[in-house]
Amino acid sequence: MAPPEEDQFPVGMKVLVVDDDPTCLAVLNRMLVQCRYDATTCSRATVALSMLRENRGGFDVIISDVHMPDMDGFRLLELVGLELDLPVIMMSADSSTNAVMKGIKHGACDYLIKPVRMEELKNIWQHVVRKKFSGNKEHEHSGSLDDTDRTRPTNNDNEYASSANDGADDSWKSQKKKRDKEDDDSELESGDPSNSSKKPRVVWSVELHQQFVNAVNHLGIDKAVPKKILELMNVPGLTRENVASHLQKFRLYLKRIAQHHAGMANPYGVPASSAQMASLGGLDFQTLAASGQIPPQALAALQDELLGRPANSLVLPARDQSSLRLAAIKGNKPHGEREIAFGQPLYKCQNNSYGAFPQSSPAAGRMPSFSGWPNNKLGMTDPTSTLGNVNNSQNSNIVLHELQQQPDTMLSGTLHTLDVKPSGIVMPSQSLNTFAASEGLSHNQNPLIMPSQSSGFLTSIPPSMKADSVLPTSQSPNSLLGGIDLINQASTSQPFISSHGGNLPGLMNRNSNVIPSQGMSNFQTGNNLYLVNQNSMGLGSKPQGVLKTESTDSLSQSYGYGSNPMDSGLLSSQSKNAQFGFLHSPNDVTGGWSSLQNMDNYRNTVGPSHPVSSSSSFQSSNAALGKLPDQGRGKNLGFVGKGTCIPNRFAVDEIESPTNSLSHSIGSSGDIPDMYGFSGQM
Amino acid sequence: MEYANLRRQAASLKRSLFDQGYLDEQFCQVEDLQDEASPNFAEEVVSLFFKDSARLVANIEQAMEKYPGDFNRWDAHMQQLKGSCFSIGASKMSNECTSFRNSCAEENAEGCRRSFQKVKREHAILRQKLESYFQLLRQAGPARTATRSGGK
Repeated sequence: MAPPEEDQFPVGMKVLVVDDDPTCLAVLNRMLVQCRYDATTCSRATVALSMLRENRGGFDVIISDVHMPDMDGFRLLELVGLELDLPVIMMSADSSTNAVMKGIKHGACDYLIKPVRMEELKNIWQHVVRKKFSGNKEHEHSGSLDDTDRTRPTNNDNEYASSANDGADDSWKSQKKKRDKEDDDSELESGDPSNSSKKPRVVWSVELHQQFVNAVNHLGIDKAVPKKILELMNVPGLTRENVASHLQKFRLYLKRIAQHHAGMANPYGVPASSAQMASLGGLDFQTLAASGQIPPQALAALQDELLGRPANSLVLPARDQSSLRLAAIKGNKPHGEREIAFGQPLYKCQNNSYGAFPQSSPAAGRMPSFSGWPNNKLGMTDPTSTLGNVNNSQNSNIVLHELQQQPDTMLSGTLHTLDVKPSGIVMPSQSLNTFAASEGLSHNQNPLIMPSQSSGFLTSIPPSMKADSVLPTSQSPNSLLGGIDLINQASTSQPFISSHGGNLPGLMNRNSNVIPSQGMSNFQTGNNLYLVNQNSMGLGSKPQGVLKTESTDSLSQSYGYGSNPMDSGLLSSQSKNAQFGFLHSPNDVTGGWSSLQNMDNYRNTVGPSHPVSSSSSFQSSNAALGKLPDQGRGKNLGFVGKGTCIPNRFAVDEIESPTNSLSHSIGSSGDIPDMYGFSGQM
Repeated sequence: MEYANLRRQAASLKRSLFDQGYLDEQFCQVEDLQDEASPNFAEEVVSLFFKDSARLVANIEQAMEKYPGDFNRWDAHMQQLKGSCFSIGASKMSNECTSFRNSCAEENAEGCRRSFQKVKREHAILRQKLESYFQLLRQAGPARTATRSGGK
């Protein structure tokens, strides 16, 4: 009866039917048997869930009723989607469009109206095939950057655009969107319930940043102190710490810009940067630089920091912790979601990462919650923490996963934060990966390596120092940058890059800045530059050994799950060299590596360029699906978006652009999950 | 043959149930599901349905007494019963379930009560008719295939 595809595929397909209605269950069971499926029935969703968890891989597809007393069918759908990534078919006597739409939004791959007919059941095998097929397909796609790049932006845009329209559904995706939207709105908000216990999260919206800049201008950049700025801004809910953190970033940003101007000498990006600078809140960076108020070195870094930090720094901290907590809570549950391949390992990783975050936070100093992220950001400015970046990126990846996994709205809030952070850090790393893979990424990696050498240097610098220790960091970054620049040139072949390479260390930052200003088309080059910057940053981050190691572990685990030769190859070729060097220097990472070659590769990738690792892991987890690759892409895109958009916007919109970029990245990262859901559903 | 006669009666009864709207195509689907492995599947399912639907009806009755005006609750219970009706193709009963739910949507308590009485009545009628039907089939013996084809 069942349509035989090949070697009688549909025959014996393992179907789990969940319905509290015994009559329906009996009929369905009988029908499935006649379809020659291997049917299992369950009258309680909770029991079904435990069956699924205990017997992973025991079922190919799930058919679930919508209305069940012990657990809503949509909830089950979400949990299954998050943990098992199995195709779930919803069924209900309710044929209203709303009900069906709800099922689709929650990731159902099909929605059957009761009474379910044999003809429909005969066809459900297609969902199993489609899921597998889509996974493979995505994997293939991951290979070609062009496709990815082309597709990603679109997706991001769509997501972005649609976010506002999204109603209130509980799906992870929608939550994320909502988050993004909130970010865009960028108001001071205390975040979700999950965050409520923590410090309120501050989103430096364009308006808010404008207020900040106005206050700083009013006071004078040299005389502006957080307390006075806060008074001038007069924004309820904003704390002195928030302002201080932002001011620090802002100063770094100014410094970078100044550097940029001095070093760049306008060959390529100066115009854009200068324009941007001018547009920033009325501060004339060039003037400042010229007057000597702003240290020249800082200018280059400014853009990066501002871009990343505004959103990240303030917002992230509070949420980070909350997210971590949430993660920890969730950690109890098995989250397998996308990463079928990853499976439990991911969980562990996530948990670890979470744990790490809190710890790191203290070290971070100002931004405790941030610790991991902040470091990264700082790293960006400073070249110090390549590793840190990597770790962060991993963390972010993990976080994303968790976010995805977390069905609760509460989580969504967390997710948001998480997303933001990752976006800053992760995006770059991922972009690097993709780049490397597609183009001459290896070059990028090499630059990364360079940083690794200096990494020791960076590591020595306390994360908290980042902001203040601009000079030291900048120096180390410079060397890194130099290497990076070379790489960039090779890979991108854009004039900008080359000029950068020739330029001083400070140039790298500038390059990155400039690149953003350029169009999206520059993407890759821009990304590369960015990546480079991040890498440099990464070095500094390394000190956060805890996070790193954890992240590496998680990666390694994930690897074990679905490590593909392909991935390892990519990783090895692209990142291995540099990474290796890196890793060695940072003791933390090395400890974890020993186990497997694959693991090493991953870790390497992870350590040096988290993105790479993540991407690799994704790829490797082909079986799991193409989502991971997507994420990497999405992130990349997001990153690109940042790079490209932020500078420009920064000039115009100031902070907002960063937020946008973040949101983009988030969206992209979010996309992955979504993609998952979709494929699964489809 | 007496068996043939019984089968004819069963087929006739079934046809009348269809003609009067008590049953729909789903019931045939259920009957088609029985084979050598489960020769009495239709009857088993139907008895399962009546056993469970009696519980659901009681639930609704209880909910209507205990939570007057809680239409969402009523509706949720009726939704369950309706799903069950669908499973065996009890179309007339499910129609009454639908009208009950419509009354819920209108927050028409009186309409709900009326519909619920109809649901119970249809439930009882169907039970009685299907019991007769399966009794005829049982008496007709093993030649169930004839019934099946007739049903179609």
